[in-house]
Amino acid sequence: MKLPLKNRSLKQSASPSTKSSKGTSTKRHHHPLRPAALAGLALVVAAGGAADADQDAGNPNVTAVEPGDTVAVTRMPDNIYLRSQNDPDDLIWDRVPTYRTTLLPAPPVHRSVKLRFADEIEAGKPLYFQVARTDERFYIRLRWKDASEDRATTVDDFRDGVAVQYAINGVDTSYMMGSGPDNPVNIWYWRSDREAVENLAAGGYGSTTRLPEQNIAGDSAYVPDEYSDDGEWHVVMSRPIEAGDSEHAANLERNPVPMGFALWQGNDNQRDGDKRVTHTWIRLDAAGSDGETAADG
Amino acid sequence: MAVKRQLSMVLDLNKCIGCQTCTAACKLMWTNRNGREYMYWNNVETQPGLGYPRDYQNMGGGFDEEGALRLSRQPSQEDYGIPWEYNYSEALMTGTDPWLRPNVKPTWGANWDEDEGEGDYPNSYYFYLPRLCNHCANPGCLAACSRNAIYKRQEDGIVLVDQERCRGYRYCVNACPYKKVYFNEQISKSEKCIFCYPRIEKGLPTACAQQCVGRIRWIGYRDDEDGPIHKLVDKHQVALPLHPEWGTEPNVFYIPPMSPPKFGENGEQLDESRIPLDYLESLFGPRVGEVLDTLAAERQAKADGQDSELMDTLIGFKHAEMFKLS
Repeated sequence: MKLPLKNRSLKQSASPSTKSSKGTSTKRHHHPLRPAALAGLALVVAAGGAADADQDAGNPNVTAVEPGDTVAVTRMPDNIYLRSQNDPDDLIWDRVPTYRTTLLPAPPVHRSVKLRFADEIEAGKPLYFQVARTDERFYIRLRWKDASEDRATTVDDFRDGVAVQYAINGVDTSYMMGSGPDNPVNIWYWRSDREAVENLAAGGYGSTTRLPEQNIAGDSAYVPDEYSDDGEWHVVMSRPIEAGDSEHAANLERNPVPMGFALWQGNDNQRDGDKRVTHTWIRLDAAGSDGETAADG
Repeated sequence: MAVKRQLSMVLDLNKCIGCQTCTAACKLMWTNRNGREYMYWNNVETQPGLGYPRDYQNMGGGFDEEGALRLSRQPSQEDYGIPWEYNYSEALMTGTDPWLRPNVKPTWGANWDEDEGEGDYPNSYYFYLPRLCNHCANPGCLAACSRNAIYKRQEDGIVLVDQERCRGYRYCVNACPYKKVYFNEQISKSEKCIFCYPRIEKGLPTACAQQCVGRIRWIGYRDDEDGPIHKLVDKHQVALPLHPEWGTEPNVFYIPPMSPPKFGENGEQLDESRIPLDYLESLFGPRVGEVLDTLAAERQAKADGQDSELMDTLIGFKHAEMFKLS
């Protein structure tokens, strides 16, 4: 991968200032930042100005997203070199706008989830995500704080997991696993125990089904925090833009692609509907032509 | 849950000698491989005892009085016991290890407290309790599964886990108060006793029943009035479910164990059975005393040379009469 040195150094110089100004002011950027804007922002940050208190301190390029908002897919150069296809910490991700959304406990629909729901009272949890594509491949990167790395699925251990779901049809599809067989969702479920991404479909809760085409790739890194016991998961999932003729593969070249997230904390015995989710859809502008461009500055 | 027919099993605890042949038969047929090594779809416990998994009777699960699922403690691997192997090759063949020893420190297992029981000599007591999935009429596992992966077959009431639908959430393990659903870590799915349905479909009894040297098990359809189940459960009413208060309506029934009289301080026989009645009632419900009286009376009748259909059934002269699978 060719990464312009200029921007790398800008980011590095910005980081300490960002940390020092932590908690002093809050500013949310509601548009993905173009490289020119990035340079401008870095200057502001370096001057001790805007830094979002609860956002990722090392990356000023974070935009808060509410359900219903639209986010653009970033264009990656087609000739980009990645250390590995789904490298969760490839340098290219420093050049892709980061969005932040808040996941809230999913409304329990099954008695087994309701039984356990009383324990699940913790409020929202921020999830950071980045979306990018080349001509051939669609990538999504997810980051979230998690004090424990739970990679085991045993008789009484539950694993960490994260999922992205896309409505096959429009935004009127229920965000709760789709609206029946005619309005299903495509789900990419990353499970920490097997370092694998399952390609699933559902048409309403309880109907999650593993698809015959398992063409979602992924990789993860758990980054422990030395000081605060506040580690972080980094997960990348990707799929060829052309997903064959499967009726349950999300079309990732439309605008909007209704998209949502789900997060399971293994440490809290979370599984199934006991999870935090995006309530309603984030709209992904995946049409491609107007997407942001990374690494061209 | 209404099914067209219900296959059931009756076990006579008076005949069980605790030989574990049923356990071995089941294990060899179904659970000695592929992540099931720690599972005992059938096991024989000494009662009173903590059972398998350890202290399962106090974990919870099943239904409350309103019919709502009760939450349970999720059993740990230690509660089941971690399966161990011995270094036979190193200790006995190559001589590279001077000791024959297990590869993990054993702390619990399916038959850990065998023959311990309760009470002080000469009034110590115990009996054997073989346990398998009860293929309940109101299965807690089925109610707890958010995937509809557990189903009860219409033709025989056998409760099965659809391995295609199971996604390993372990609600069923939690909900079954008998803890007879197990999580297979190797495949991340739950598995349980299948009542040997491939054998049943060929007209054969389950492996545990076929191999039972004590001939303590009867298998048949509940609605077959000429069959052993109907006679023992409905006609003579001597077979009782384990822990009916858990609300799952088991289809495995037990003839409660009779016991000799308790001894008094001077060695005299008291008018009280060695196995305390209230203990048996805590397992099999309030009808135990009545059943024990019936068994005693029928046994005496047979001893006196009178006819007793109940005793003839319980003796189990022929396998063909013990297993009625059509």
